[in-house]
Amino acid sequence: MRALKKGAEPGPGRIRRVPGAAELAPGRSSRRRRAVELSLAILFPVVLIGLWQTASTLDWIDARLYPSPFDIAAKTRDLFSERDLAEDVWISVRRILWGYFWGALGGLSAGIGMGMFRLMRRTAEPTLIALYTVPKLALLPIYLTVFGFGETTVIALIATTVFFFVWLSAMAAVMAVPEEYREAAHSFGANRRQLFHHVILPASLPQIFVGLRLAAGVSVLMIVGVEFVLGGDGIGHVINGGRILGLIEQTYVGIAIVAVIGVIFTALVRLAGRLASPWSTEDGGQPIA
Amino acid sequence: MKGAGSASAGPGSRDQAPDAKISISGVHRTFAADTADPVHALGPFDLEIADGEFACLVGPSGCGKSTLLRIVAGLIRPSQGEIEINASGSSSAPLSVVFQDYSIYPWKTVERNVSYGLEIQGMRKKAALEKSRRWLAKMGLEDFARAYPDALSGGMRQRVAIARALAVEPEILLMDEPFAALDAQLRQLLQDELLDIWQADQRTVLFITHSLEEAIVLGDRVIVMTSRPGRVLESFEVPFPRPRKPELRDTPEFSKFKAMLWESLKGEVQHYLSDVHGAMSDAEGQR
Ligand SMILES: Nc1ncnc2c1ncn2[C@@H]1O[C@H](COP(=O)(O)OP(=O)(O)OP(=O)(O)O)[C@@H](O)[C@H]1O
Ligand SMILES: [Mg+2]
Repeated sequence: MRALKKGAEPGPGRIRRVPGAAELAPGRSSRRRRAVELSLAILFPVVLIGLWQTASTLDWIDARLYPSPFDIAAKTRDLFSERDLAEDVWISVRRILWGYFWGALGGLSAGIGMGMFRLMRRTAEPTLIALYTVPKLALLPIYLTVFGFGETTVIALIATTVFFFVWLSAMAAVMAVPEEYREAAHSFGANRRQLFHHVILPASLPQIFVGLRLAAGVSVLMIVGVEFVLGGDGIGHVINGGRILGLIEQTYVGIAIVAVIGVIFTALVRLAGRLASPWSTEDGGQPIA
Repeated sequence: MKGAGSASAGPGSRDQAPDAKISISGVHRTFAADTADPVHALGPFDLEIADGEFACLVGPSGCGKSTLLRIVAGLIRPSQGEIEINASGSSSAPLSVVFQDYSIYPWKTVERNVSYGLEIQGMRKKAALEKSRRWLAKMGLEDFARAYPDALSGGMRQRVAIARALAVEPEILLMDEPFAALDAQLRQLLQDELLDIWQADQRTVLFITHSLEEAIVLGDRVIVMTSRPGRVLESFEVPFPRPRKPELRDTPEFSKFKAMLWESLKGEVQHYLSDVHGAMSDAEGQR
């Protein structure tokens, strides 16, 4: 038998269960936990940027090829005043939003429809899967022919990319709705519309939002690629312009802005998901009471 | 009253009652019928349930009780045979179901879980919510009306499912082991509540249970099923007058009647167990 250490619990077989900090002061401890989580989320990138800055200042890396965070920040300020960077950012954001809107709308309709109706799924699924595997940037020449050289082409390309992500996740989510949920509604004589409204949609919503969140990130990836190739304006053009003109700092500014747009957009979609499915703990949140 | 009631043997031996609420004749159900190993779950099954009768169904696990109930509920179709239900139209809902696995919705609050069944049947939202709260109060859940089911215990969720089925005030109530997950005290409370509701409006009830005691306390008749494929083995009229008091369980007549039911069921359960063991030793042998 294990020897009792000094100050240990009395008796070898005795185990105590006592309230911890979270139980004794529930409000304070959960506030503190949230504060800690938030600080860590901010501290982590700050430390990474700090390391980068240090490496640059101490000449561990060549600042002409890899400009330091301070230089990038200064350049960002300059660009916003000189080159009207805000205009480019706004152009890209508008394209992302429109493309995302149409793509998500189409993806949701197709995904939910094909999830609910077997015949629709059997008809369209192989074709859509085939199209899914085509790199969307490769469609650019075709879209240019169809939609012309303008906003429509860019938006259509974003929409196409978003569509496939949302379609796949929505279809899978609807098909995964447990049979018992459907049966319970059928037993009350629910018609198709009621079944959809009361059961299919809410049951699949948390999973659908996973797809919507993925698509939000992907739509930002895509806009950079498209503007890279098309040129003219937008944040992708800013990045590419820096490369062509040898303004390496400008490229970094563009990359930083894209990253921020991605973070904000994804967070907004997550927030929408939390509001739309308040009961759900799917993305690590607590149910909204 | 003394001893055992009338026991009638074999399927279809009950007289064809003219006022049968549910008549089940020659019903079979086979799952995976189009594959190499179909599962013959049920049949041939024959049973008449009279208007206002409380019929309890017992049988070994996997004998097709839930399958039968789902066929009566119209959720799946029989592979053969037919079921006739005489709905008088006195209620907006001919029948409602309490499922074995709760199947209440995590995305609806407790009160909305109960009210949506009423709304589907055309009741206005406000009236439905009011009625929903009344039934929740009967189930002792008024304090949780606005909570989500995830915050409830298993027994509480099952009470929500029961409230949901009762709130539509159906002519026929189909219940699949509704009290199985509850503790003994609550179980008894809800049994009493159910009896009150049943006696007040003379609904017809088809009630599946694994507990012989529960079947005797609640039922007008206990139907014992064979192991899979499920058929009617024997049907017993419960000889005890109503209202039945909880002390009934302690009387010698009760024990005697229960022993008789068990005698009938025992062979089937053993049959079922030997099947299970056989399958297990087969699997052993293949290694
Ligand atoms: N959807 C299905 N597909 C294939 N087989 C099924 C299906 N549903 C039920 N079965 C089979 O039918 C048989 C009867 O099932 P059922 O659920 O009716 O049993 P039960 O009598 O309700 O059992 P328990 O008392 O354990 O609930 C079982 O062998 C089961 O495996
Ligand atoms: Mg069952």
